[in-house]
Amino acid sequence: MNKYLVFLEQREGIVKAASIELWNTLQQLAAVHEDITVCGLVAGAVDLHQLRCTLAGKGVLYYTSDHQFTLYNSARYARLVVDIVKQESCCALFFADTVLSRELAPKLSIRMKAAMLSGVPVFDAAGVDSGTVRTVYSGSFMASFFFECPLRIYTISSLPIISMIPSRAQIDYIPLHPLSTDTDEELFPLLRRMIMREGRRDVAEAGIIIAGGRGVGGADGFALLEQLALLLGGVVGASRPAVDEGWRPQSEQIGQTGKTVNPTLYLACGISGSVQHIAGIGSSTVVVAINNDSNAPIFDVADYGIVGDLRRVLPELLGALQNIFREQ
Amino acid sequence: MNIAVCVCHVPDTASVIGVVDGERDFSRVYEVMNPYDEYALEEAVRLREHFAPGEVTVFSVASVSTKEMVRKALAMGADRAILVDHTVVADPYQTAFALSRAISVFYGDTLPEVVFCGKQSTDFQSAQVPPMLAELLGIGAVTGICSLGVSTEGLQVEREIEGGSEFFDLHYPVLLSAEKGLNMPRKTSIKSVMEARKKNIDSFSISLDVPPYVVMAGLKPLDRKKRCQFLSDEKELIKILREKHKLF
Repeated sequence: MNKYLVFLEQREGIVKAASIELWNTLQQLAAVHEDITVCGLVAGAVDLHQLRCTLAGKGVLYYTSDHQFTLYNSARYARLVVDIVKQESCCALFFADTVLSRELAPKLSIRMKAAMLSGVPVFDAAGVDSGTVRTVYSGSFMASFFFECPLRIYTISSLPIISMIPSRAQIDYIPLHPLSTDTDEELFPLLRRMIMREGRRDVAEAGIIIAGGRGVGGADGFALLEQLALLLGGVVGASRPAVDEGWRPQSEQIGQTGKTVNPTLYLACGISGSVQHIAGIGSSTVVVAINNDSNAPIFDVADYGIVGDLRRVLPELLGALQNIFREQ
Repeated sequence: MNIAVCVCHVPDTASVIGVVDGERDFSRVYEVMNPYDEYALEEAVRLREHFAPGEVTVFSVASVSTKEMVRKALAMGADRAILVDHTVVADPYQTAFALSRAISVFYGDTLPEVVFCGKQSTDFQSAQVPPMLAELLGIGAVTGICSLGVSTEGLQVEREIEGGSEFFDLHYPVLLSAEKGLNMPRKTSIKSVMEARKKNIDSFSISLDVPPYVVMAGLKPLDRKKRCQFLSDEKELIKILREKHKLF
């Protein structure tokens, strides 16, 4: 029997879409393979109604409403995960690939002597379990790995969007009792406060990204991209030059020294397409490039391209889309 | 304040990594200091300037070409460097293990107040070494910090999370990993390069008596090229996105 534990990450009581997607993906795997069972863990009080409406499949989900887990605390979270892994005799631990898991999971790897891979796709395009490969060197190579430990930890990126029907879910929600605090915890960094930007999704979690590069020409030029993003329900992203010029914040940078994204639609406006930038957009479903240079490398990785001046193409695109949405 | 900074080298992003008989060909690759490590080093040097006296010591799991990179770190303001000798490190665990041993040997019972690392290396992008190293040293860690402030109460750091920011209060000793944007790393001058030549580079031999957790089994080049369909205007684009991809 292979028991998988999914760590469901919450912020302000809402479980992340990427965690829910991960749970459902593993449930799909468990539905096909009888020897796999899935259990879950949520640290911190969450809206259980949200989970009941979105989590599919079957299994046990442990949650704790204790206030000491409301904000992220690496020492407490780690202790909680270790307890559940032991209690359930899990053979694999899964996280959505986030800032939190990139910090917490390697610590757990040491604590539990577990082999770990970061930023792994669980399934390849054909739906085959490919949990032992990931891209390296700016996405120009696919590396495969052997695990030397019985327990494995994964942070999972770029999940396919699948729809399962939560109405048929058989999940037992089991509350965990408050754990005693460890005095050592006082010596660890303390998360004092967290600020969430309202209504702004992160590029790493967006389904539609309107990204701009040097060709946008300046901070003002991004106003059109903002409008497009708003209209399509997406977010604005930026290439490194646009961030280095100070036109956009670092949090929007996509590429090797920025974020890796996996949207359904990636619209690259005035982005030439350096190797470093392309490394961050590799798992996008549809890539559209608008650039005035028909030889720009971005067109080599794009599905569709328009060669033209952004200042002409973007207003026209925006206008045409506005007309369509008005009609709907 | 004593500060340890861990640096590694990575292929310069402009270099092309070739493939010969299914193996990586590094002959045309120029290796540089991992860009994230430059932010870590710069922040360490600034902190030392703020909390004098103290030393910034650079640690690197070494190979021959590491020495040149370590010279650059010294020119950027580090006081001394330790090259951690090894035969081969197979995974982030062995790297973190070698670093933790070297730091423990160098500092003895009193760990440095801060251990700095880059958020991740740009080649493998696992971001595993910094938290693993913190765990092996038994200290706390905040990864991917984008801002560091000093007040009478100690250090405060900020990091970006998906859709927001987190603010931490720190206690020493602590490990911090640097995100891009933390600072603007200084450029080295001829004077600083000359001065760096007088600084010590020591080699530590660390016996790597632990097996790796993960071993890379193979590498294959990826062809990411798509066949781009050029469209005449935005109307054609909208039609395709709506009808073929059902995006809106």
